[in-house]
This record gives sequence, structure tokens and C-alpha cells, in this order.
Amino acid sequence: MAGSFFRSFNRNKVLLLMVLPGALWFLCFSYLPLVGTVAAFKEYRFSRQGFWYSLIHSKNVGWDNFKFLFNTDAAYTITRNTLLYNIAFIFLGLVFSVALAILLSELVNKKLAKLYQTSMFLPYFLSWVIVGYFAFSFLSMDRGLLNHILGYFGVDSMQWYSDPTYWPYILIFVYLWKSIGYSSVVYLASILGIDKSLYEAAMIDGASKLQQVRNITLPLLKPIIIIMTLLAVGKIFYADFGLFYQVPRDSGTLYSVTNVIDTYVYRGLKTTGEIGMSTAAGLYQSIVGFVLVMISNYVVRKLDKDSALF
Amino acid sequence: MSATPRTLKKRNFHQITKGWNVVFNVIAALFSFLCVFPFVFVAIISFTDEKSLAANGYRIIPEKWSFKAYEYIFETGDTLLRSYGVTILVTVVGTVVSLLMIALYAYAVSRKSFAYRRFFSLFAVFTMLFNGGMIPTYIVVTQLLHLKDNIWALILPLAMNAFYIMILRTFYITGVPDAIIESGKIDGAGEFKIFIRLVLPLSLPGLATIGLFSTLGYWNDWFNALLYIDTPSKVPLQSMLMRIESSMQFIQQNSLNSAVSLEALSSMPQDTARMAMVVLATLPIIFAYPFFQRYFVQGLTVGSVKE
Amino acid sequence: MSKIKKRAGLLLAATTAFSLVLSACGSNGNNEPEAAGSGSGSGNAGKPVELIWYTIGTPQKDVDTVMAEVSKYTKEKINATIKMKMIDWGDYSQKMQVLVASGEPMDILFTSAGGFDYVQNVRKGAFLELDELLDKYGQGIKNTIDPGFLSGSKVDGHNYGIPANKELPQLEVWRFNQNLVDKYKLDTSGVRTLESLEPLLKTIKEKEPEVTPFAMDKTYVPYVPYDYLVTNMPMAVKLDGSDMKVVNILETSEMKAALETMHKYYKAGYVAPEAATTGSTSDLTTSGKWLLDRAQTQPLAENLWSASYGYPVTTKPASDAIITNTSVQGSIMAISANSEHPEKAMEFLNLLNTDPVLRNMVDSGTEGTHYEKIDDKHMKNLDASQNYNMPSYSLGNNMLLYLNEGDPDDKWDQFKKFNAEGKPSPILGFNFDSTKVATEMTAVQNVKEQFWASLMTGTVDPATFLPKAIDEFKKAGLDKVIAEAQSQLDAWAAANK
Repeated sequence: MAGSFFRSFNRNKVLLLMVLPGALWFLCFSYLPLVGTVAAFKEYRFSRQGFWYSLIHSKNVGWDNFKFLFNTDAAYTITRNTLLYNIAFIFLGLVFSVALAILLSELVNKKLAKLYQTSMFLPYFLSWVIVGYFAFSFLSMDRGLLNHILGYFGVDSMQWYSDPTYWPYILIFVYLWKSIGYSSVVYLASILGIDKSLYEAAMIDGASKLQQVRNITLPLLKPIIIIMTLLAVGKIFYADFGLFYQVPRDSGTLYSVTNVIDTYVYRGLKTTGEIGMSTAAGLYQSIVGFVLVMISNYVVRKLDKDSALF
Repeated sequence: MSATPRTLKKRNFHQITKGWNVVFNVIAALFSFLCVFPFVFVAIISFTDEKSLAANGYRIIPEKWSFKAYEYIFETGDTLLRSYGVTILVTVVGTVVSLLMIALYAYAVSRKSFAYRRFFSLFAVFTMLFNGGMIPTYIVVTQLLHLKDNIWALILPLAMNAFYIMILRTFYITGVPDAIIESGKIDGAGEFKIFIRLVLPLSLPGLATIGLFSTLGYWNDWFNALLYIDTPSKVPLQSMLMRIESSMQFIQQNSLNSAVSLEALSSMPQDTARMAMVVLATLPIIFAYPFFQRYFVQGLTVGSVKE
Repeated sequence: MSKIKKRAGLLLAATTAFSLVLSACGSNGNNEPEAAGSGSGSGNAGKPVELIWYTIGTPQKDVDTVMAEVSKYTKEKINATIKMKMIDWGDYSQKMQVLVASGEPMDILFTSAGGFDYVQNVRKGAFLELDELLDKYGQGIKNTIDPGFLSGSKVDGHNYGIPANKELPQLEVWRFNQNLVDKYKLDTSGVRTLESLEPLLKTIKEKEPEVTPFAMDKTYVPYVPYDYLVTNMPMAVKLDGSDMKVVNILETSEMKAALETMHKYYKAGYVAPEAATTGSTSDLTTSGKWLLDRAQTQPLAENLWSASYGYPVTTKPASDAIITNTSVQGSIMAISANSEHPEKAMEFLNLLNTDPVLRNMVDSGTEGTHYEKIDDKHMKNLDASQNYNMPSYSLGNNMLLYLNEGDPDDKWDQFKKFNAEGKPSPILGFNFDSTKVATEMTAVQNVKEQFWASLMTGTVDPATFLPKAIDEFKKAGLDKVIAEAQSQLDAWAAANK
């Protein structure tokens, strides 16, 4: 058995060498710190002897640190919000960025196309705090642009920051606005990597543009779409803190539609700052993500072996 | 649609009709405007007089223009320039290092003949889902690698990224047919030669994408500097911006102690200066995009590489 | 040929791998010799000890040069040198948590109710207990600073930090934009309660529609005569000390009445429509478009405010001056639990709080470079002071500081008088330990965030939202938290009788 291992090792020597730097990095920056997740089961207290010593000698509390995520009325709201928003983000993000990528790749004037691409990147550079300012300059009750426009049409001023009705749409819109310029690059690059003789052949066969997209572009994009979706599924229990905290200006009346796991944990631990509890929350998010990725990867593997993550 | 074979050849066959082109252009232009507008707005606010901003709020055409914000920033002089320097250094070195490591790793796990392919894919993806948290990571970086207050502490923590690896792996798999690698093997080339000579040229769009993401990641990173950097002269641009931002918030939220807030606020830049910093922090990186765009080359055909 | 290429390739990968390791090792060369302080034991009198001091504030250019001067002085006095590390305002809490948790070497650190929370971190074991050290090396501190600070900052009966000697009680005032008061000849003499503001607000609302009569941000809470166990959490005890009973502040008649008044004001348009989400009112103070707001004061604060806004600001008291846990814990210097030289650190703190030369050097920098003396009490900042602009409140005894140009000679006497007039809160020195109810606290905190700002600013109608909030608090487990707090308070009261 040892012999066969060495044989296989020898055969894969060069590829193993290629993986080596990255694997070392992962070991160092990702796997080593993982020991810290023990804190999720501890009531962490400092000591003179440093972190690891303190960690081992802090009191064991079992699953107590996880209770705050479930033992509350809000548990349902935050779980629902986190899940539903992420599903919407994954689905709409995919549709819009693929559509945008196809659209950009089809433009006749390539100079213009490049200009558009560059501009669509700009929102990525604005921090959520700044995006929050802008949202406010649109939605503010007395100075906001939107209320001015509504007033022009004879509609009464709205209290945007205290009415939860429209916030799911606002948040989804802001998310898409900020992210699709970035995420469409992957699809655009994939489209541009497609062998153009395929289109040539289709053209000669008399395929319309739409047929070409359906029968060439999309099938060839399938592997990257699957990968991107699988990766996003792993993050389904994480929410973008800035989006849900800064953009609605932390308005309490909107919590029913803006409170997500990350904001709940932040608000709950703001005063106590228990390391154990925040670690527990992170672990919970990770495990759910991991289980979901394993399941969906298993399904993908059954259907199409090459598209699976692993 | 009824183009004759001749015009078909002359015209780019990969082209849409004029009507659709106009529609597509309008959509793209509208969305671009939506994306650029806030940024232009930021720029306008940065040129607004502080007093008229306080009185009128954000306006597209301010009552009074002012260069005060920029004067304020340039008064700090070399701090800003040095921050640019740090950011550029970290971004360039970081992108090169990470692209190299990611490209190698992704290639290995893209090869079907690699016996440990699944293991190393999972090994990478797992790190996306689980992390040990801030404090253990801090200890590894400062006490094991001894990178406290070191520029490498801004580069290494971002060097690998499972997300990028999986994307690039897909580019390799879809963009580089097995036949090419097999033909390389038959020619007697080793794995590295195949990788450099055959695979890399075919996956330029993918490499450019990851290079771009990596560049943006380094450019925008502020958190590592918060954790690891003490010396002000090693603080990158975004981190400088973020520090001011969060310090403003801290002081406002702790305004209970009124004397403190007065004392501290007097040394803080106002709204306009913060906007000016956003402008200064974003403008240079916009020019990085066209650099990567060059490598988004349309339709390299398989045949042309095979020579 | 292909073999050479292959080797080159191998080399490439190997180099990348080792660059990781190399960069790790190579970095040692760049590090400053940190061993300087840690090598010598505290008993060794020959070799000066280096004390590492973490403090809050935007890092200043000249910190190292000033600390070199400071070190010269302290080396002579107590055989110790000082290394100061400043962490910017907004980063302080987070970064200190990481530094302390990871066992970063440090001796002295700043802590307060607002940045790197004092009580919480005492409970987590971040600071050294100082009772003995204070007796041994801190006699100067005990004699100089107001005893209210030391007794008020005790946690579970022990001292864990040295509060800065400055204003001791908390006094709420109404601040007025005097320009508007003069313009409409408003009479502010009868102002004290929330209700008494109404005629003023009304006049301004009618005559100056552009002005926000009652300026406030989302942290505004109407004043009621209760002291909160934890800042901005609904558990509170009545200030008159009549009963030591922990109540939900929302269920008190005083708060109920105040919220109704606030809602009335909100509906009348005296309050900005988005007050509940407003982070700062600095745009109003800059433009002068406000009539009044509420703030905490200290002696000579009116002058400070007027000078900073560029127009006169006057005040009227809105409460009694009360010494509370929050007011006592506004600025504390603690000794780290992992300090290698706790005795030296205490000696230094003692010197800092008693020696005017050292205190002023730390605060204003080098004489002749950063500031110059005008007379024996007053000083003037020079141009270079912008490279050493320190927040005075966080650096120890304020009453040793030279006065600024224009400050009255009796400034610190006014502070002493102000401090002497403060009445201690019945729960001064009691600090709630929430460990046992940590789960409930997170839920309560979330409910608080949900309802607090909109109720307190009057944005929502208390008739419908108050019962709802009380109900949600109950569901989140506030009763259990209050019961736990009550039993701790009873035990504390019994021990302190």
C-alpha cells in the first residue's frame, strides 16, 4: 500500500509542487487559526499566558454560546431574512450579470463597451457608508430627491426610513447596482473565451442571434455559472453587514425586513463583546453553508461530474 | 439576417443588428450613468463649500464651490503621497504574488490526471466556508510569521482565495481542451512547459479576470492595515480613509462626553474632505481597469494556438 | 531541453513556496528591538524599564520625539522609559480587543465607558487589580484626585484603573442658540423641564420655518431622574434612592409622560422628521439653524461651544448634577493583566497624576517647540502643536494642566467646585455582571435597538408603541435580566451598608 502511494505521489509530483505554495498558505492562514473555533464552546477570559492558554483554560460552557441565536423571537426573522435575501441575490445577481455580460459582448462599438464596463465598476469602490449617504439623499423625508419627485406628481411625502414596505426592493436594487458590474466580468471573460468558430458555424447554418445565445453561449457558460452558484450557496447564511446596517441607517422600525444574522449578532454583542458568542455565530453560519455546499455539490456531481466543485 | 455569404465574411459575423445595437447601447448607457452618477456626485460634494453643504444638504449644483477639502488634504502633504505609495506597492506586488500562486494551484486542480484533485479542491473550498476568526489569525500573522507592522502583512493575508481558484479552474477546464494538453504530452513537454506554453495563453481572459479582482481586492483592503500596521507611514490609502470614517462615527456616537467630542471634532475633516478622499482613493484605480481589459481578447481560436 | 525547462519550472514553484517562509523570517530585520523592556526584571534597579502605553486618539507625528523627552524625565524620576502607541478613535475598541486577547505586550492602557469598555474588560480579566499597588505606589493619586473617582470606579469592590481627574458629575443642560433667543426675545429663565420648552419651540417653529427648533440625533433620550445600570439599556434605578429597585425604564410614569411630550413635539414639527436615524447634528450647529438641544456640560463649556460654533451658545440646567458610573468611567488608565512591570507602571501613573511637568509634557509636547508659556499658569500652542495634538481627557489628571490663552485663572477651582456639588447616584460603584444572562442580554439589546430611537425622539406614538416595546422586551427575557440585576444589587447594597 505504501508502495502504491509512492507511485502515485511520484506520478503527481509536479502537480503537487504546483499546489504546494497555495496549500502552505491555506494551512497557515486558514487551517491553523481554525483552532480558535474552540472559543465557541468557552466563556473566554483573558490571562497573562496569552490566547491559546486562556482559550484552553477558560470555562467550558457547551452549547450555551449558541443559544442566543435560537432562543429568541427574532431567530425566525433573521434566519428568514438572511436566507430570502441571499436567494434573491444569488438568482437575480446571476440573471442580471449574465445578461449584462452577453449584452456588453454583443455591442458593435468596442470602445463604448469598454467605457460602459469601466463605469459599471465604480459602485464597487464606494464604501457602504457612502452608499448609505446617497440612499439618504434620495430617500430623506424632507430633503430627499424621491419625495421631491413624488411631490411633483402630487403624491404625499413618504417616510421611507420608517416604512418597511419598500425596503426589500430597495435593498435588492442597491445590492444589484453595487455588485453586477463586478460579477459580470467573470461571465464576460468566459464569453470572450468561447471559440468563435462555433458562432461562425451557427451563422452559416442560419441560426439567429437569440438561438446562438441559447445554443452556444449559455451552454458554454454553464460550468462557470454552476461554480459561481455553488460558491454563493456556501455563503447563504452570511449577510453583507454594510448593506443591511448602513443603507437603512440602522432604523429600528425597519428591522422586520432588514435584520439579518450578522446585524443581529452585531447589535446583540455590541455591549458585552463576548468572543465565545461571536465565534459561535460564525461557526453556525459556516456549518450551515458547508452542509448546503456538500449537498448541492453532491447533486451537481451526480448530474455532471465535471462541473462539481470537488 | 438575409446577408449574403460575401457580406457575412466582410462584416464581423458575431454582430447584432443595428436596431438591437441601439437598444443594447441605451440599456448599457443608462446603467453606466446610474453607476457613474453617484461618483460624480461625490466629486461635486467634495468641491462644495462646507457651510452651504450644512445649510442645503447634498446638491447637484452647490450654492458655493470650494477647494477647501483638497487644501485640507494636501496640507497633510507627504502622508497622502506615502499612502498612495504603500497602496500601489502592495497592490502591484500582491497581485503578482497572488496571481502566480492562484494560477499554479488552479491549474493543478483542473487537471483530470491529478490524483489528489478532489482533495485539494475541497482543501481550498473549505477555507471559504470556515474561518478561525480575527484573533487566531492575528496571532498567526504576528507571532508565527512575525509580520506585525510589516508591509507583507498587507500582502500575504490576501494572496490566496479559494473563490478565485475555483473560477480560474473553470476557465482552464472550459477554455483549454484536453486534446491540447495531450498533444503537448505527445510532443514530450513536461507539465510546467504545457502550463506556460499552452495553457496560460489560452486562459488569458481568466487570468485577467483574477488579476483584476486581486488588484481591486488589494486596492480596497483596509482591514489588514487596521490590524497589523502601527506606523502611520505604512498605512495604505483606503485604510486612512476608513480610519477617518470610523473615527468620525465613534466621536459622534460618544458625544455624551461633550468636551471630548469638541476637542476631537475640531481636528477631524468635515464631510467634504471625506468625499475628496473618496475621489482621490478611487480615481487612480479606474485607470487600472483598461489595463486588464486588453487581455479580454475576443475569441482566440483553438487552431491558432496549435500552430 | 525539456528537462531544463522542467527544472526551471520546479524552481519557480519552489521559490514561490519559500518566499512565504522567507518573508516571514526576513521581517525580523525590520522589527524594532522589542526585547528592550521585557528582559529586565522589575527588581533590577540598574537598567531602566520600558513601559508600553496604549492610548486613544489619532496618531500624532511627534509622539516618538515627545516620548523621548518624557522618557528622559521619567528615567530620572522612576527609572522607566515610555513607549506610547496611539490607536485612532474608531479603531480603538476593536484593535485593543484583538491586542489584549492575543497577549500583545503592554503595560498601561486607556479604557472608558465608550472605548474598550472598562467594566466588561475588568470582568474578562484584561486589567490588573490595583488595590495593593495603589496603597504602595499610588499615595499621590489618592491624595490628589477626587476620592469620588476612585470609589466610583470600583468593580466588585476593587480598583482596576485610575480615572482621570476632571469633571466628576453628569449635569444635563439645555443649550440655546443665543442668536435666535435674542432675535425673538425668548425668555429662557423658566426653562428646566421638557414641558417648559414648548412656548420657545412654538415661537421658532412659526417664525423660522427653516430652523429645526429641537435639534437631536438618534442617541437622544429624554431626561428622567433614574440611573441606568448599563448605558442605554432599559434597566434603571430611581435617583432619589427611595427604593433600590431595578425597573424597566419604559414602565415608569416619568418616562411615559416624557415620551408623550416628545411625540407631541414631533408631531408639531419641532423635531427633525428623521431624528431617529440621524447620526449627527453637526450640520445644524454649523449652519446655526437650530434653537435648542440637550447636552452634558462642565465648567466653561459655554465658552468652548461658542468658540467652536462661531456664535454664542448659552445653557440652562435640565437636571441635577449626579455622579454616576458613566461619568466616573469616562476616562480611565488601567494596567494590563500581562504587564511585566506592574509596579513601575503604577509608579508612572502616580507621577503622571501628580507631577505637573510630566503631565504637561505628555499633553502639550515640548516647551518651545509645541507650546510656549505666557505666564506661570497660561500657555499658547505654537504651529508645531498640530504634530502633537493630544486629547487631554484621556491622559490623566486634567487639573495639573496649564491653562489655555483666555482661560480664567480659576478654571480648575471652578471644576473643583462643580465636582463638590455633585450628588452620588444611589448605585454609584455598582456594576452589573451580565454573564449569567448573556443570552437574554443579546435579545434585549436587539429589542432596544429596534424601539429605542423611534420612541425616544417621539417619532412614534407611545400609546401604541410603548406597550408593544414593553411586550417585546418581556419576550426577550428582560424580566429575567432585571431579576438577576436586582439580586446582584441587593447583595451589593448589603455589602456596602
